[in-house]
Amino acid sequence: MTLTKKDVRKFLSEYKIVALLIVIAIIWAFFGYLTYDSDLGGSQFLTPRNFSNLLRQMAITGMLASAMVFVIVAGEIDLSVGSLLGLLGGVAAVMDVTYTLPLWMTIPAVIVLGLLFGLMVGWLTAYLGIPSFIVTLGGQLVFRGMVLGLTGGITIAPVHPDLKFIGQGYLPELAGNVCGVLLFLVLVFLAFRTRANRQKHSLTVPTVPAEVGRLLFAGVIILGFVLTLNDYQGVPVPVLVLLVILAVFTVVGNKTTFGRHIYAVGSNMEATRLSGVNVAYVKMMVFALMGLMCAFAGLTTTGRLAAGTPSAGFGNELDAIASCFIGGTSMRGGVGSVSGALVGAVIMASLDNGMSMMGIDTFWQQIVKGIILVAAVYMDIVSSGNQRG
Amino acid sequence: MSDYLLEMRDITKDFNGVKAIDGIHLQVRQGECVGLCGENGAGKSTLMKVLSAVYPYGSWTGQISWEGKELKARNIRETEEAGIVIIHQELMMVPHLTVAENIFLGSEPKTKAGFIDYDLMNANAEKLMARLKMSDINVALPVYNYSGGKQQLVEIAKALNKNAKLLILDEPTSALTTSETRTLLDLIKEFKANGMACVYISHKLDEVAEIADTVTVIRDGTHIGTLPMAELDTNKIITMMVGREMKNLFPREAHTIGDVIFEAKNISCWDVTNRERKVVDNVSFEIRKGEILGVAGLVGAGRTELACKLFGCWNGDHEGEVFLEGKEIKVHEPRDAVKLGICMVPEDRKRHGIIPLMGVGYNITMSVLKRYTSGGFIQSEVELAEIQNQIIRMKVKTAEPLLPIASLSGGNQQKAVVAKMLLPEPKVLILDEPTRGIDVGAKYEIYKLIFELAKQGVAVLMISSEMPEVLGISDRVLVMGEGKLRGNFINEGLTQEKVLAAAIGQPITEAA
Repeated sequence: MTLTKKDVRKFLSEYKIVALLIVIAIIWAFFGYLTYDSDLGGSQFLTPRNFSNLLRQMAITGMLASAMVFVIVAGEIDLSVGSLLGLLGGVAAVMDVTYTLPLWMTIPAVIVLGLLFGLMVGWLTAYLGIPSFIVTLGGQLVFRGMVLGLTGGITIAPVHPDLKFIGQGYLPELAGNVCGVLLFLVLVFLAFRTRANRQKHSLTVPTVPAEVGRLLFAGVIILGFVLTLNDYQGVPVPVLVLLVILAVFTVVGNKTTFGRHIYAVGSNMEATRLSGVNVAYVKMMVFALMGLMCAFAGLTTTGRLAAGTPSAGFGNELDAIASCFIGGTSMRGGVGSVSGALVGAVIMASLDNGMSMMGIDTFWQQIVKGIILVAAVYMDIVSSGNQRG
Repeated sequence: MSDYLLEMRDITKDFNGVKAIDGIHLQVRQGECVGLCGENGAGKSTLMKVLSAVYPYGSWTGQISWEGKELKARNIRETEEAGIVIIHQELMMVPHLTVAENIFLGSEPKTKAGFIDYDLMNANAEKLMARLKMSDINVALPVYNYSGGKQQLVEIAKALNKNAKLLILDEPTSALTTSETRTLLDLIKEFKANGMACVYISHKLDEVAEIADTVTVIRDGTHIGTLPMAELDTNKIITMMVGREMKNLFPREAHTIGDVIFEAKNISCWDVTNRERKVVDNVSFEIRKGEILGVAGLVGAGRTELACKLFGCWNGDHEGEVFLEGKEIKVHEPRDAVKLGICMVPEDRKRHGIIPLMGVGYNITMSVLKRYTSGGFIQSEVELAEIQNQIIRMKVKTAEPLLPIASLSGGNQQKAVVAKMLLPEPKVLILDEPTRGIDVGAKYEIYKLIFELAKQGVAVLMISSEMPEVLGISDRVLVMGEGKLRGNFINEGLTQEKVLAAAIGQPITEAA
């Protein structure tokens, strides 16, 4: 059987996520091969240690990308998240170091502040009708200015060890195992419930072997993931947070009216409004979620650096936006998934990590990432058949 | 040698192995108008895209000969150079450019220095408009100042400028008022007399009957027949189109009319951009339970604006009181209206009706999604089951319930939009041009549905520019003109002439 261009296109559009995973496999194999060193006992890229590092590196971009997907799906953009992350991380550092406030006050305060800033951006966009590009471009300057004013332009350190744990800590081996088992049990439970419900409403259900196979596959992935990370130091805390965010946001996107409305607003806002949906509220809340994720990312950044720095989060908005687009989010709104965006973030992080490991200059890393972004969106255009001319 | 200007033989075009059209023939003589009829999805547009080389030579099979020679055009530019010009259903105007700039877009006359020669361009544009008897149009004004009908004529001026020998008109009158349609039809007759050929695609069969010399009917991509119009009438065309006898175009069913349920008093709306201009002027009316109230009028009469105001989506200034079941209600947003039991199926399906990338099913449940949640989460199985019910009930033809709605035909999209607006169980249902651009079969199903709803006691307010439809369906007819309510007739012995006269504002004096 010959594979025609049409078959490839169909495959790419139907199994976008599979295609992206294949891309990751290729990148990893590539770097794995190039960093092979028999003196050090094998490939330096494909080690549990590097796998753990890579995931920690992508966690912050991943948190931002998780909410950025919804912003872009709703037909908007947020250029202010890098600065807002810096500001919130700075606030956390100032509360922790300068005022030595306890963590149980710092974390909620930062989260509330993130939500409020997000709500404000959302209100300006959704209710006052100022294009989000403009609001958040302004926000980028305002928030960065506020960080500089707040920190006085200097690094604030050292932060409390507990705050450091958020950015640098690892789960003990046992806790990691328990989480893995719990996750698997939840998946099994959900599979059973969905099956029962579908049968109740006389909808078709997949065959039992197919279902069992799917669950076993998921189980193997989870097992491999946890074991690999435990082989180094355990599941990193930011990675755990990111996985929880992935789960929650996926449910929000697929299983709540709010999520459905985000996709509807991005696909056709006027028709959604005429269906009786409060579209302005939906848009505002999407930005509130974005603010919330900036708070998470800000806390993680400050923890990871063990300090609040005036330049924290600089340029992170672009990484987050690029992850979304690489992960198949449509720039016209209405299409995109959180899992896709995180896979996009993994691709970006793998390129960074692999090229650093090989000692390639950072300017090359930027050039390559830029080319990958453009190429990924072009692939998307080809696979959806939306070519111009 | 044939005496045909255009001859398309055995045209077949497939998409991924699915034949969209299969062995179609079409012949056009000089000075002849061929009516091309078929239900939505029959393959008319595909055939025209083959002809105008939107699908280039080689991507289809068959043969096209043009002026006796085989045509192997690779793009639209080549077919336009040959003299084949297509005017699409949707107007292709750049609203902020002037009339003249639109006409000469891509073929602007230049001065020696290479700049656009505006004097020459405007003078030529005026000459073209004069040929179309449209001398009152100021060619130096932006196109958005003019109504859809006038813009349609600018589109034709553009075609004339390209020295069109064959004009293809795809549903040219779907957005035109009756008088604008008249002008257009007269114009086409004149062109014919001057030797221009045309292909006229329309669902409005009386128009086809009036101007076509020959009619070609296609159904499901196959050629059903080509007959001279003299041997046909609209009923015969319909039979050929649907493949079954259409006994009754309007399936009237008896239904009882109850008490007044909805009242609008002194409604006025102002234009969004030109805030001094009243688009709805002090309109008051009432509607009863189980009553079908038709709203007739010419395009621009303020009917859509009135509907928008009642549904809470009019963006300009507005005033007036609205009562539902005797109580005054305040509707600021469509969601208020939906909650109260007032639903609207909008006029512009593409812009206001469908959420294109989303599945048909999700489009249908958009209005009442909360209903399928429990503890804040959507119960997918409950929702899917309801979607399947609705798809069956509304006879939506779709391969899968969650196929993106944009991939369905216009009629099926419309059924889904109607289903969406029926799920909230409205007491008052506003239908704005519910059958625009959809095929005869889907129309019939929508009419049946309207009667079913009336039987259940729903008050239906139906805005329509198709006079036979208004008269065939309504219990009572409101007539609007220039924003004012100009007539309120019980539909007994009501004639098109009477309604039209009221719409224009010249009530007929009853002859003795």
